[in-house]
Amino acid sequence: MSLDISFIGILIGSIMASSVPLILAASGELITERSGVLNLGVEGMMIIGAISGFALMVITDNLFIAIVGSMLSGVIISLIFGFLTQSLLTNHVATGLALTIFGIGLSAMLGKNFVGIPGKEFPILFSSLRESIPFFGPILFGHSIVLYFAFALPFLTNYFLKKTKLGLIVRAVGDSPVSASNQGINVILVRYCCILYGGAMCGLAGAYLSLIYTPQWIENMTAGRGWIALALVVFATWSPIKVLIGALIFGGITILQLHMQAIGFRIPVQFLSALPYLMTIIVLVVISRDSRKIKLNTPTSLGRIFYKEK
Amino acid sequence: MATDLRISNISKIYPGCIANDNVSLQFKSGKIYALLGENGAGKSTLVKILSGVISPDNGEVFLNEKNLKLSSPLDAKKNKIGMVFQHFNLFETLSVFENLSIDATEDNKSLRLRINEIFKKYNFSIDLDVPVLNLSAGQKQKVEIIRCLLRSPKVLIMDEPTSVLTEQETEELFISLKKFCDEGILIIYITHKLKEVLSLCDEVAVMRKGKVVSVSQTQNEKVETLANKMVGQKLAKIKKKINISKNKDEIFKVKHLNFYSDDPFETNLVNLNFSVKKGECLGIAGISGNGQNELFQILSGEIITPNTSIIFRNKEIAKLNPKQRREYLMAFSPEDRISQAAVPELKIYENVALNNFKASNFFEKGLVNERKIKDHSKKILSDFSVNTDNVELKSQFLSGGNLQKLILGRELITAPELLICYNPTWGLDVGAINYIHETLIKINDQEKSTILISTDTEELLKLSDRIAVIYKGKLSKIMSSEEVTPEKLGVLMGGGSID
Repeated sequence: MSLDISFIGILIGSIMASSVPLILAASGELITERSGVLNLGVEGMMIIGAISGFALMVITDNLFIAIVGSMLSGVIISLIFGFLTQSLLTNHVATGLALTIFGIGLSAMLGKNFVGIPGKEFPILFSSLRESIPFFGPILFGHSIVLYFAFALPFLTNYFLKKTKLGLIVRAVGDSPVSASNQGINVILVRYCCILYGGAMCGLAGAYLSLIYTPQWIENMTAGRGWIALALVVFATWSPIKVLIGALIFGGITILQLHMQAIGFRIPVQFLSALPYLMTIIVLVVISRDSRKIKLNTPTSLGRIFYKEK
Repeated sequence: MATDLRISNISKIYPGCIANDNVSLQFKSGKIYALLGENGAGKSTLVKILSGVISPDNGEVFLNEKNLKLSSPLDAKKNKIGMVFQHFNLFETLSVFENLSIDATEDNKSLRLRINEIFKKYNFSIDLDVPVLNLSAGQKQKVEIIRCLLRSPKVLIMDEPTSVLTEQETEELFISLKKFCDEGILIIYITHKLKEVLSLCDEVAVMRKGKVVSVSQTQNEKVETLANKMVGQKLAKIKKKINISKNKDEIFKVKHLNFYSDDPFETNLVNLNFSVKKGECLGIAGISGNGQNELFQILSGEIITPNTSIIFRNKEIAKLNPKQRREYLMAFSPEDRISQAAVPELKIYENVALNNFKASNFFEKGLVNERKIKDHSKKILSDFSVNTDNVELKSQFLSGGNLQKLILGRELITAPELLICYNPTWGLDVGAINYIHETLIKINDQEKSTILISTDTEELLKLSDRIAVIYKGKLSKIMSSEEVTPEKLGVLMGGGSID
């Protein structure tokens, strides 16, 4: 194997592509959790997004409709979660788990007729620049628009939470829903919005898998990425930038260990397969050691049911 | 412009409890009004209605003869009613400025200017960019007050504002409140502390069991008259018959109690020696932080110290843990009811079961004997007049007084030979304090002993037979309560010496 510079460029580009679904789903879930809602249904929402995106693409032959439709499907399924947890005050954890199981089952049922259908090529941007610039070309150019959006998203999320009034309200609701309600903030409405936004991002993450990353429908194709995204949010201590770092490490080591397996490193395959999980956790734990910062970033009311006094 | 706030026939009924029963009151700006009542008298319900947090079942609120519809906190805000809650309504992880800006309509720059104006005017000083969780209770309260002031309120309601403040902070608060009052803000001050009413307020309305029982000028009232109105009966003056008989057996004896800690927040104890006789109450006075915490934990067995001898009923128990000590008929009532004495999230009967005795048979073959525990709990609730008979109730819903009664009941129902309690009446209202004092005296009458560690001198003089003072981890000589005066105690507690 030649470790020349253009190969490394291509490698980095493929690492970026593999971390996109994690970044999207984790950034969405981060907003949901920052408002105090723990939605464990990320995996379920992603897989629903994946099948509805793919199905819409096959039916309408229009990628734009497919992408928007996948986000809408994420919104709809998260609306179920929102209605149960916010209006009927069910337990967040149990409802989220149920959502995942429901999502996986429903997607398998809906997807039966779409197995084996080839996907459509997703347009990539700046493909000429990709070829003409060595090293940086494959890293910066020749990606789908969703990838560029995904890499901007953590920064936008950070800006939203830290600098905007709405972000402040989301953080306030996550810190103390009772105080927020006493200040006249409509806690339930804020939480609904955050849940639906999280659903949309998870739907998009799923569609990225079935339309762009591996353009086809395979049953259970999210393969646990939703759970990784959930863990990333916690280990990144609810900081969007650290979510990005964590997703890149995870994607990076996943790709690298595949190459290592292919080359035939004398390390047990099981250990190599476990490496992305281990390294991501270790790195995120190390970069988020500051207990004061953890306390400031953690949504205090996470997972707790809020009901208004009457 | 003068403000006139009128509450007319407000009622609020919760299942099993009438929180407000036809309450009518009138307030005018330029005065500080006290709303006085025991815990659970309905004061907090009333102010929650005024601030729009809950809506009444019946009745109306008028501000300057305008009928207010207060169906949400926003309505109260719009009508310039400001409220400082007892449990602060702040966002702990957000900075002070973020807390203040969350419902501001202006931009950050002009908001900062206005906050600084308020700081100057009232002599406040708080760093705006630190998170609220780094502030002291007094500073947090100031943030709450500033949040109200930013909306130029006509009415400012303070719900038990001093319960978390130090004396110094309380004084500062009173000065600010008087200033607000002079500026024409109508102040309603909710409390169960009688002395505060007398020193701060102009008019006082007393509430009991959801009803307003009296409205009067404070200058015509005294601590006793207010206390009687609040409790609804003449409070018996409790004075214990001091009982020092030299020839009684020593039931509890501590020798060479030493404790060293590396933790700068703990106090070292230096060679404490004392004993307690049968039927006696030994009081240990002192300003908090002089080693009382450590002493209580050592006596209860939470901390085991080497080379200490503790003899209880002729047995050496210094190496035993709290559970084993309980088996020897010791009982403990820690200072912190919520986190040390009881688990707030557990139900009443579950909390009772925590005090698990071999003899009580709460657990059989590893299984919980729920019926037995519940019967036992019911007996505690009725014997110790806790204000509920529902053993399924979560302990966090009990008021401080009722929780303390439950804890004492749990400890006493096994008829222990020695009860060690630490600030048993901390933060309670007069009625509950009286009840607990009577209970403690009854124990001594039954020839059982008590050790009372307390920071309340009045309480110690009322209940103890002998008193010692702890200062910087050292114990003074033990004096008979007959020879002790509050002045003497004061000198010893401050580190001085008498004789």
